[in-house]
Amino acid sequence: MRVEFQDIHKNYGRVRANVGINLVLEPGRIYGLLGENGAGKSTLMKTLAGHTQPSRGRVLFNGKDPEGLNPSRALAMGVGMLYQDPRDFPALEVWENFRLGGRQRDKKRTLSRLQELGARFHFRLSPEEKVSELTVGERQQLELLRLLDLGVKVLILDEPTTGISVTQKEMLFATIRQLARDRGRTIIFVSHKLTEVEELCQEVVVLRQGRLLAQLQSPFQSEDLLKFMFGAEHDGTAESSERSQPGKGEFVQLEDVQLLGDKYTLPDISLQIRPGEILGLAGLEGSGQELLLRGLAGLARVLKGRLVFDGEELQGRPYLKFRQAGIHFLPAARLEQGLFPDLSLNEHFHLAFPPQNGGRDNLLPEEGIKEFSIQGQLSTTARALSGGNQQRLLLALIPAQTRLLLLEHPTRGLDHGAGQQVWSHLLRRCRQSAALLFSSADLDEIKAHSHRVLIFYNRQLVADRPNHAISVEEMGRLMAGQGRAV
Amino acid sequence: MSYAAKFSLSLGRLAAAVFLSVVFTTFILLVSGAPPLHTFAILFGGGIGSAAKLFQTIAVWIPLVLCSSALLLTFAPGLWNIGIEGQIILGAIFATGFLRPFPAGASPLVLAGALIAGMIGGALWAYIAAVLRTWGRVHEIFGGLGLNFVALGLTLWLIFGPWRRPGVASMSGTEPLHPSLWLKGFKGFSLSPVSLVLALLAIFLVIYLLRSTRWGLSLKAVGQNPGAALLFGLKPNKRILEAMALCGALAGLAGALQVVGVYHRLLPAISSNYGYTALLVTMLASFRPNLIPPICFFFAVLNVGSIQLPLQLKLDSSLSGVIQGVLVLSVFLVHGLEERWQLLRRKK
Repeated sequence: MRVEFQDIHKNYGRVRANVGINLVLEPGRIYGLLGENGAGKSTLMKTLAGHTQPSRGRVLFNGKDPEGLNPSRALAMGVGMLYQDPRDFPALEVWENFRLGGRQRDKKRTLSRLQELGARFHFRLSPEEKVSELTVGERQQLELLRLLDLGVKVLILDEPTTGISVTQKEMLFATIRQLARDRGRTIIFVSHKLTEVEELCQEVVVLRQGRLLAQLQSPFQSEDLLKFMFGAEHDGTAESSERSQPGKGEFVQLEDVQLLGDKYTLPDISLQIRPGEILGLAGLEGSGQELLLRGLAGLARVLKGRLVFDGEELQGRPYLKFRQAGIHFLPAARLEQGLFPDLSLNEHFHLAFPPQNGGRDNLLPEEGIKEFSIQGQLSTTARALSGGNQQRLLLALIPAQTRLLLLEHPTRGLDHGAGQQVWSHLLRRCRQSAALLFSSADLDEIKAHSHRVLIFYNRQLVADRPNHAISVEEMGRLMAGQGRAV
Repeated sequence: MSYAAKFSLSLGRLAAAVFLSVVFTTFILLVSGAPPLHTFAILFGGGIGSAAKLFQTIAVWIPLVLCSSALLLTFAPGLWNIGIEGQIILGAIFATGFLRPFPAGASPLVLAGALIAGMIGGALWAYIAAVLRTWGRVHEIFGGLGLNFVALGLTLWLIFGPWRRPGVASMSGTEPLHPSLWLKGFKGFSLSPVSLVLALLAIFLVIYLLRSTRWGLSLKAVGQNPGAALLFGLKPNKRILEAMALCGALAGLAGALQVVGVYHRLLPAISSNYGYTALLVTMLASFRPNLIPPICFFFAVLNVGSIQLPLQLKLDSSLSGVIQGVLVLSVFLVHGLEERWQLLRRKK
């Protein structure tokens, strides 16, 4: 379907989210929509999907203007959106959720349709599992299958590669190409991962501060894209050169540790971590890296083995003991798991730094907001902050005496600039001899920042390699269960 | 939004809700053939018409304020302490039990002991619900509701069993306390200044705890996000136990005061459903402490005024309950309509 945006303006109060966007999207093509957080990508896509009405301008579908577009009409016209946070129904079973909004089918037919579609992408979803039991990646997969089943003609994918493996990504990309070619679908791929856009898209649209800045044809020059996204002053080099050297001695030791999580156990992990060392954890969602981070944080039960931190055995001890020992964990879902949505920045600082014990070493709220350049006031609530600011707040709340940092997806959902800020802070902490374990779905991020790489597959630790001894491609293969490893 | 703006917004909502419920109540009165204006006059006149009635109203206001401010503590960490009813009853039972060894009277010190015993009783009952919640994974609504029935059963068993009046076990309760164990009232009235002071102390204590202490902030944090509270080392389960116990203690104090200050014995209906009413009050106040005293007063006026309804108009006194319930529903409705309206406006 041919989609035409004509002079789209959208204002939220005084914020101009979209400014005079003119854009034609032809059927059968794959478009990349690039831009930093807040560049106006989401607003433009929400307009297309009928979630917001533009303040001015109109959207034409095959030359026709469907007045008063709303989400259900947009879907009926064939516009489907795969959201970054899956819009599904946790209380349902997978197959029930899959059937929603689609053709009336009995359970048997639904199952076979789900199986058929799933097999095409090699997604392994158990139809009778509860949606609430799935990982974010699996929920995205389910939602994608559902949209395809509904027969969408315009498919918007909002950061779809978060949480799926390299092989799955390759398969997804192949399918996207096929969907565009065979059925003449219009695909819009919203991302801030340049490599993916370069690999997949035939045309790229770059937004900045609500304006359409450039529309480029493949092949793209990365430097051009970066320049359009961030302005001329940006340089695209990663900060990997600033990586510190790990110190001597092994201050964290795991000996045959077996961990029990909510959904699975992680067997026999043995691991030594030195001060200042950075370990990147790679694996599909639900492969074990989440449980290792939680186990090290004292949030999962240690079934057997020894977990020694700075000479002290911590297995079986309560979470607070881990925290007092200087271990700090930041979950991936910042607002849902890490912050108090309606409490203010000031209250967060007060809760994180109790005045009685060592509060003085730590930041005063005003200092913290300034030092971490959090865009907000003392009275701003966590909910009102953008993703980048929420992450900066969480970083600001890490106690000064922390010696082992455990981060889940530290830069997920952040734009390039915000991600770099996060890393420059983390690297500074590591130079002050804190060790860091982080998981990421972005293998380039792991490659850029780790001293060592741990790879998880099928709820096991399958590889523990120094950074120089493993390539991104090999990481991808190991994550997908290909190849033999240590 | 500034504090003043938020406050006036809550007041505006309240006014809209009052208007809605007056309309609805008028409709009910018209249907049942009662003259609306006259009925409203009796309802309000019955609660504040004379000094005696005003004192009666304040006597109802006291347990309502105690329970409503207690509930602020459990609403802060996101708990629905519906078991407060049972906590009032246990306070009354413990106070009565404490005073039973003194049938011939005793010093005021014993009276103070009875109040403390009541607080312990209420706290204990709340603690059971809290332990069920944190260790047994029983939601506090179900745990509390179950414990309410147990508490009621316990009262009836005591009144008709071990604590029955010699010869005449009846719904009218246990043997009255010796007059020296009655809480002294203002001259000529049964309303006790001690109860009044305790209720005022309670609301100020709760405001102080929630606004100015780290403990209060932790409670709110637990209510906002228990998972994050765990990560911050705020011990969410411990906070839940503490909040419930303190809430139960204040409810127990209310129950004890009903025994020593109002009825001077244990009755089957000793709680007068003040716990449930207090839940309505707290919701109506949108959990804002400073709205609690006026709303409690309004509800107390309705409660006292409604006593006149059967006498003067042959209407059932449960009308006050209907009005209170309608009022709370109206508040939710106003809130919902407001959100809808904002959503519509944003879409434009």
